[in-house]
Amino acid sequence: MNAPLITSSLELATAGVEISHLSKSFGSHLVLDDISMSVEPGSVTALIGPSGSGKSTLLRCVNLLETPDAGTVTVGSQTITAGQPVKDRDLLALRRQVGMVFQSFNLFPHFSVLRNVAFPQERVLGRSREEAEARALTLLERVGLKEKAHQHPARCSGGQQQRIAIARALALEPSAMLFDEPTSALDPEVGVEVLAVMRELASAGMTMIVVTHEMQFAREVGDHLVVMADGRIIEEGVPAEIMAAPKEERTRRFLSAVLER
Amino acid sequence: MGDALVAILLGLPMTLLVTAASFAIGLVGGVPLLLGLRSRIRFVRLAVRLVIDLIRGVPPIVWLFLLYFGIAIGSFRFNSLVAAIVGLGVISSAYLAEIYRGGFATLPRGQFEAAQALGLGRATTLGRVLAPQALRTALPSMATFLLSLLKDSSIASTIGVTEMVTAATVFARQNTATAGIVPFFLAAAVYFALSIPVAVFARRLDTRLRKAL
Amino acid sequence: MSLVDYLPQLGRGLLLSLQLTALSVLFGYLIGLVLALGAASSKWWLKWPAIVVVEIGRGIPALVVLYLIYFGLPSVGILFESLVAATIGLTFTAAAYSSEMIRAGLQSVPRGQFEAAAALGLARRSTFLRVVLPQGLRSSIPALMGLAIMSFQATSLAYSISVPELMSQAYQVGNLTFQYLGVYAITGLIYAAIAVPATWLSVWVEHRLARGAA
Repeated sequence: MNAPLITSSLELATAGVEISHLSKSFGSHLVLDDISMSVEPGSVTALIGPSGSGKSTLLRCVNLLETPDAGTVTVGSQTITAGQPVKDRDLLALRRQVGMVFQSFNLFPHFSVLRNVAFPQERVLGRSREEAEARALTLLERVGLKEKAHQHPARCSGGQQQRIAIARALALEPSAMLFDEPTSALDPEVGVEVLAVMRELASAGMTMIVVTHEMQFAREVGDHLVVMADGRIIEEGVPAEIMAAPKEERTRRFLSAVLER
Repeated sequence: MGDALVAILLGLPMTLLVTAASFAIGLVGGVPLLLGLRSRIRFVRLAVRLVIDLIRGVPPIVWLFLLYFGIAIGSFRFNSLVAAIVGLGVISSAYLAEIYRGGFATLPRGQFEAAQALGLGRATTLGRVLAPQALRTALPSMATFLLSLLKDSSIASTIGVTEMVTAATVFARQNTATAGIVPFFLAAAVYFALSIPVAVFARRLDTRLRKAL
Repeated sequence: MSLVDYLPQLGRGLLLSLQLTALSVLFGYLIGLVLALGAASSKWWLKWPAIVVVEIGRGIPALVVLYLIYFGLPSVGILFESLVAATIGLTFTAAAYSSEMIRAGLQSVPRGQFEAAAALGLARRSTFLRVVLPQGLRSSIPALMGLAIMSFQATSLAYSISVPELMSQAYQVGNLTFQYLGVYAITGLIYAAIAVPATWLSVWVEHRLARGAA
């Protein structure tokens, strides 16, 4: 993709993400067990591990789609402490700082592509319709989908929908982005389009946490790799180093299983 | 109030008879209509579809009046009970055929293909592989339909079948000074009470099926 | 006189049946929406009354509802003209049934939609009004169309409380001409001529919605 940097027109005010002593259970099942991790502003952290290891839950705790039982989450200057009642205002403030991209895109099917990207800006940032739609068009152009602006999401391929979802999140000028297996629902050749957009975003200096099975992406784009199993971080460090020489037996088994596919 | 309740409950067996008999007719009558809907001949499919839609397009009360007042062949005429059962039975056949069809429509195509690949004949495929599965998914809708049939059986009162609503009306008329709203209220309560077990049954089936699927 | 001469009389009845349908569907669906929101509420004092009203409305035959209002209520001092009684009764039934359909539609909105709205920082109000409600109502359209057809057919019950709608007119014509078979056959066909194409339309709409077309 030779489009200009998708973020060149954005005010990129990146923030770090700090997670400390986070725990979460579903019923009697401990999904996250005292997790602490730190994401530098402008860095890319790849989160990998077998299914059920808690990586998606961890990601969803960052913007409080899941409510942690214990611990704190800090994004920029906004801290949420588990167990204390969260005011609606603080919750929305945190979510406005953090963009999220889902495995299943979750575009709003009853809105056109343009409205998908513009509507949240109007509601969340209070932009006028004209301003929001102009901005939406710019972003759609940057992800290469300006011509789809007036269609409905159902008319777009999975890869296109995911790029629209990224544009929708970016339109709110988040200071960090969460990606929950953004290419898992896509065919490999389509996933490439999405990964290309994510690469650009990373090189523009966006703080990103990416749950993924794309090892090549994690190695090339990731500044930091976190390996999870059974609700714990079992290993973390520089992606290429861990992939070349995992210290943990479970990391080694997981990596060889993923790479064999 | 006690008298009214007794009078209305005396109409209950007739309500249940009309409901059960017409449902039974529908259970059986729905099968040939279903086969027509699934026929290999396009004309048969379209004709049966039109017949079903036509039956469902005419309100029950019109069916009952048509059979009760309209049919006179020589000296033959339906009495009101038979007219009600036949009329609601015809309507049930159309609705149940549609419910059966819905059950088949939710079956994965792989089931049909697997049976074909195993070399099972058309009848075996339909009768032994597809129908049992389709019936299972159709059961909640069938229970829901039974409920609406129970309520539609009240329409039999308009051609003089002495079921619960007739009982309520007669009681109200005979006790104008004292009865008031009570008999109708009681009839409503009995219908409501009857609908609870079927509704609970349908809901339980529904959740059980959803878990099984 | 042949039956053809009575067609205008049947036509007048049909017109009233259609008016009765329009009123009961319009008011019924509005009340149904309110009941659906109530039944979906997390506050018990909104939830349970709504559920009770809905279950009563669905558990009692429409004919009994009409009798209750027209023959029953006068004894407690509430007197309605037959047309008003029929409108109220049929509205009540339509409200109860439609609320269940709207509730099912709202429930069919995928969880991902709520999550995406939450992740974007949309407030609860806009999430519900602009994201969930439009999609929920949209997916309940076929069921609501089907219910409108049922409501049209149910207007024939108003005959029993002497509203001069189509069925009442048919009854009168039958008594005048003694051609019961012909009169009720024609009447049945008139009902079907409206209900059957409407059913086909609702099936077509359902297919279109299922295909995800805009």
